Amino acid sequence: MTPPATNFWRIAGMSYLQYVNRAAGSVRSALKEPMKSKLSAQGEFSYKASAWVDGTQMSKTEITSLSQAGK
Amino acid sequence: MASMASLRTLSMTTAATAARRIVAPRTVSMALGTTSTQIQVQSQSQRRGMATEKQLANKIQSTKNIKKITSSMKMVAAARLKGEERRLAASIPFNQWTYEMFSEPKFLEEATFVDFPQKVLIVPFTSDKGLCGGINSFISRGVRNMIAKLDEQSKQADVCVIGEKGRGQMQRMLTGNQIKRTCTDVVAPGNYTMASALSTELIKAGAETDYDAVIMVYNSYKNAAVYNQMYKVITPLKTGGEESETGGSSNEALAGYDFDSEKAESMSDLYEFIISTNLYHSFMDGAAAEQSARMTAMEGASSNAGEMIDKLTLQYNRARQSRITTELIEIISGASALEKKK
Repeated sequence: MTPPATNFWRIAGMSYLQYVNRAAGSVRSALKEPMKSKLSAQGEFSYKASAWVDGTQMSKTEITSLSQAGK
Repeated sequence: MASMASLRTLSMTTAATAARRIVAPRTVSMALGTTSTQIQVQSQSQRRGMATEKQLANKIQSTKNIKKITSSMKMVAAARLKGEERRLAASIPFNQWTYEMFSEPKFLEEATFVDFPQKVLIVPFTSDKGLCGGINSFISRGVRNMIAKLDEQSKQADVCVIGEKGRGQMQRMLTGNQIKRTCTDVVAPGNYTMASALSTELIKAGAETDYDAVIMVYNSYKNAAVYNQMYKVITPLKTGGEESETGGSSNEALAGYDFDSEKAESMSDLYEFIISTNLYHSFMDGAAAEQSARMTAMEGASSNAGEMIDKLTLQYNRARQSRITTELIEIISGASALEKKK
């Protein structure tokens, strides 16, 4: 049995969800028009996240990309 | 002297106009020199007794405007519901396979939560906007009851709220430091990238490492008139050799499989994916329920506005009729008085 290999994206410091979404984004960008512009919104999102410390809400941060999430 | 002059002037005007002036208590009291307090009392009693025609007409117009807005909002919600239904249908197969590993969603109402592990992270899905009936209150109340029942069982629960309405309600309802993170102002419509980002928030809040399970509480859309409050329990996947505390989900389902990479890493990735797909489905289900609830609420509001317009129109017509009758009586009495003089 071959020894277990570590995934290349993990070595690059990505999480599985980041990898999956990057892959999906690459596939979408390889599409031809008009599907390309139609599906471009699938990778876009926005929300405001805030952590709570001792029952108090900290400042809100606008999250627009996956790399910003959870910070 | 002034009052005498006023009365003389009154007598010189036509009978109808004079009679109308005599009927109006404020004019008469001014002409007779009554005090301002008396005038105030009289005008207050007039206001209390019956709204004037002008006031009623204004009320009718504003209610009509409100009805126009609620009808438009209903149509917008109906149009959005179509889109949300389509997105929900697309998200179901994305998520349904996880029911094989864990359990199917359960009804929140009357649940005892005895099968919950010791420490859980509750994720309520609420909306960012209001005017959609009680969907957010049902979720907030359900979470509050859940936490109370878990407290009775000496279990610990923290909360990560999604949606502005839920944030406000949870802040008021939960007295302790249970809220750990909030995600608000989520731009609709949702997509899988957004679900992945929200999952990352949960994982950073310790969903995988600090808690024995993630509980997703959401409104499940059944049809345009019915939605139910449901919850899903997602427990971290244990790697080989570890015992599952709850005896529910564990690594048994994947025990017979070989992994190219480290099994622990694969399980961690799979858990991330399971959280994101469940979150995606719960978010879509909640969004569809929100639009259907908004549609129903706006339909109710439009119908109420219609009823109010009918009532006000009736009042307005009565007031108008009574004014016309009074005017006719005044004209007739004035005319008969003139005939008698002749």
